[in-house]
Amino acid sequence: MSELTSMNQYLSYDEPDKSNHLWKYTPWRRIHPTGKIKEMPEMDIPTIEISNLDNSEVPDGIELLENITEIDKDKISDNIAASFLLSSTHSSRWTLSVKSGFIADLPILVDIHCHEGISSLHLELDIGKMAEIEVITRINGNCEWFGLLRTVKIQNGANVNDIVVNLQNGGSLLRFESVDIGRDAQISAGTVSSGSEKTKADLRYFLEEPGSNLKSLGSILSVEKMHLDHHIEILHDSPETQSRLSWHSACSGSSKTIGTGMLRVKDGAIGADAAQIFHNLLLSRDAEADSIPELEVMEHDVVGCGHGTANGPIDEDQKFYLESRGFNPSESKAALIAAFLNTTLSQMGSEKTHQWLVGLLSDELELLV
Amino acid sequence: MAINEEARDAVGDYKAGWHDPENSTIRFDFGLSEKVVRDISALKDEPEWMTEYRVKAYNHFKERPMPSWGNSELLKEIDFEKICYYLRSSKSTETDWEDVPDDIRNTFDRLGIPEAEQKWLSGVTAQYESEAVYHSIREDLESQGVIFLDMDNGLKSHPELVKKWFCSVVPLTDNKFAALNTAVWSGGSFIYVPKGVKVEMPVQAYFRINAKNMGQFERTLIIADEGSSIHYVEGCTAPTYSTDSLHSAVVELVALPGSHIRYSTIQNWSANVYNLVTKRGIAHENATIEWVDGNIGSKLTMKYPAVILKGEGAHAEVISVAYSGQGQHQDAGAKIHHLASNTTSKILSKSISKKGGRGSYRGLVKVSPKAENCKLNVVCDALILDEESRSDTYPTMEVSNPSARCEHEASVSKVSDDQIFYLMSRGHSEEEALAMIVNGFFEPFTKELPMEYAVELNQLMALEMEGSIG
Repeated sequence: MSELTSMNQYLSYDEPDKSNHLWKYTPWRRIHPTGKIKEMPEMDIPTIEISNLDNSEVPDGIELLENITEIDKDKISDNIAASFLLSSTHSSRWTLSVKSGFIADLPILVDIHCHEGISSLHLELDIGKMAEIEVITRINGNCEWFGLLRTVKIQNGANVNDIVVNLQNGGSLLRFESVDIGRDAQISAGTVSSGSEKTKADLRYFLEEPGSNLKSLGSILSVEKMHLDHHIEILHDSPETQSRLSWHSACSGSSKTIGTGMLRVKDGAIGADAAQIFHNLLLSRDAEADSIPELEVMEHDVVGCGHGTANGPIDEDQKFYLESRGFNPSESKAALIAAFLNTTLSQMGSEKTHQWLVGLLSDELELLV
Repeated sequence: MAINEEARDAVGDYKAGWHDPENSTIRFDFGLSEKVVRDISALKDEPEWMTEYRVKAYNHFKERPMPSWGNSELLKEIDFEKICYYLRSSKSTETDWEDVPDDIRNTFDRLGIPEAEQKWLSGVTAQYESEAVYHSIREDLESQGVIFLDMDNGLKSHPELVKKWFCSVVPLTDNKFAALNTAVWSGGSFIYVPKGVKVEMPVQAYFRINAKNMGQFERTLIIADEGSSIHYVEGCTAPTYSTDSLHSAVVELVALPGSHIRYSTIQNWSANVYNLVTKRGIAHENATIEWVDGNIGSKLTMKYPAVILKGEGAHAEVISVAYSGQGQHQDAGAKIHHLASNTTSKILSKSISKKGGRGSYRGLVKVSPKAENCKLNVVCDALILDEESRSDTYPTMEVSNPSARCEHEASVSKVSDDQIFYLMSRGHSEEEALAMIVNGFFEPFTKELPMEYAVELNQLMALEMEGSIG
């Protein structure tokens, strides 16, 4: 689709209604780069590099190409947001291609650096059949506004750990994702958010092939005045599909986290097995955590579909136990917060990836205590 | 005897679906205007402040758009100009069944209301179309100062109490249908329980729509003074017509410190009735409000009983079940707002969808920043019995205080083959086994109902389950 078509389409849409849960807590006007919704500002182009996690060169079989083959617009967020991001990323489109059958020894790091100002980027991950790989997409820099569109195609039988880490220094992040999971393929999709003052993420997963399997995990560190809004939609539209969503958010300062999930099981998705849970740890008087885990089930022959949410403070008994074992109050609090976030962090990838993530977040954890 | 034969004997095929010939004494033309609103008020000889409330509400109703959430497709089909907003079938509200017009009395006889009154109720209001046709209260309660009247007589006899509390819980601008009700309300119950009085047996209101394209807009206000308690039970039925009727009630509960209100509903409207109801209570210090809500009938129900926990130590419970059959959408749920510290709440929602029916749970639980040490628990379970049906859950939790402990869990599943097999191995047919499992699924709800209601609900559910197998 051309830039002009997307732009014209964008301008033809009305502002989304707040009764739509996608826009209830972060209206489109609030996350638009300028707040003037009929404006399509000029975008800078961020830099993008790939390497192995140990900084060595990526092996043959993995390529970063400056183009994108095809885009299924209907699978990216709703109309207004999709056409905005498609238009604004027109001159900054990349594909990370992984050959069929490729098995990576080391996790791959995709580093996106956003400069000052307003920028956007479209990254496609094309994972070939039966490939096995871990990909970490790291967002850093200190731009005012960054729009990231990721479209992920996981072909049949592939096994992928796909982690997005947001370490952007202030500013706003608009992140849209559309993930197609092939037959018998599996993905563990992790989100680690500890940057950006304002985040609006709309992550959509499509289990439209038999046997596809998804694990969606979130470790969210929300401090000071952050406003972090993650919307996750999972569609089961084929037999014997499985999904699990586990989202852990720790909120301090006067920050606000929002987790909205929509789990849809279509008629015909026999044997679907789906569950989602949101956990929120509230660490200060002014922090707020909102959860809306929604469920629409149109197939009766399912293994089970469920969701849950739990909010609470740090467990005083657990804190007391740690203090009785020699921790000081601040250490025990830090240990419990770390353990809370580690529940999801530890499932996102291999031990190497886990150690790398823990190292990355140790400074951020101190801000929470 | 098989469970389903017993059930059929007891309730028949939507047993309340018959209608009587219409013998109205006053009938307004179809359609809504300010004149209709003022005429209703004039007919009832209301004080001026109530007329002004009605007119303000009517203007708000006109300006307010239809909700864009929920089943907006079905909502769009409501034609407010094809509804009759006021119909009176009896000249007055009687206190003796013998004085009620024959056809109306026969209707309530068939519904078993006079019999229930004798056996297990403290008081009864029976509303037919727009007005209460029968009303009674036990003398001992009256002597203790308990006021139980239909709302029109409540306004006439106790205008100061009604003026103080009317629209205090559900403002006229709350939502489109609350505004409609405030504009054209007629009938409903007014109850005041004095300090320390505990009404041991339930009081009941029964609402019946008989005419075609009828709108019923009853208004209920219950005030439980300090340390008192009351259990209010309401039931409703309507004939089955090919055109739609509208039921849009508003219920306001005020539970003053230390009081206890339980409000039980068995909604069994026919499948051509839109049931769009606003129910809300305010619980002051250490007061308890419980909504026990069964939704079996109607075409579309949108009902979310709410409690505002305003006083420290207040408690709220909402227990609801919904059955969605062919052409039905039960969009029900609950709302709890924890405004004060040490408040607790519990929501239990159960739904069953069958023959293409759709059951939705929609809920909101909110903890305000100043509400310390609140605890809340929400559980939603749904069963889908066939491939055409669906079940949705839309819960929202907004927590702004770090000391709150909040839990929500929901599950959707089918009836387990193992459970069916076990019951069949003990000699039950497959159909009986299914009916027993469904009754067991609803048991947390039925055990909260008065015995007679629980038995009838079990029989009704057994009947609805007929034909679910094979």
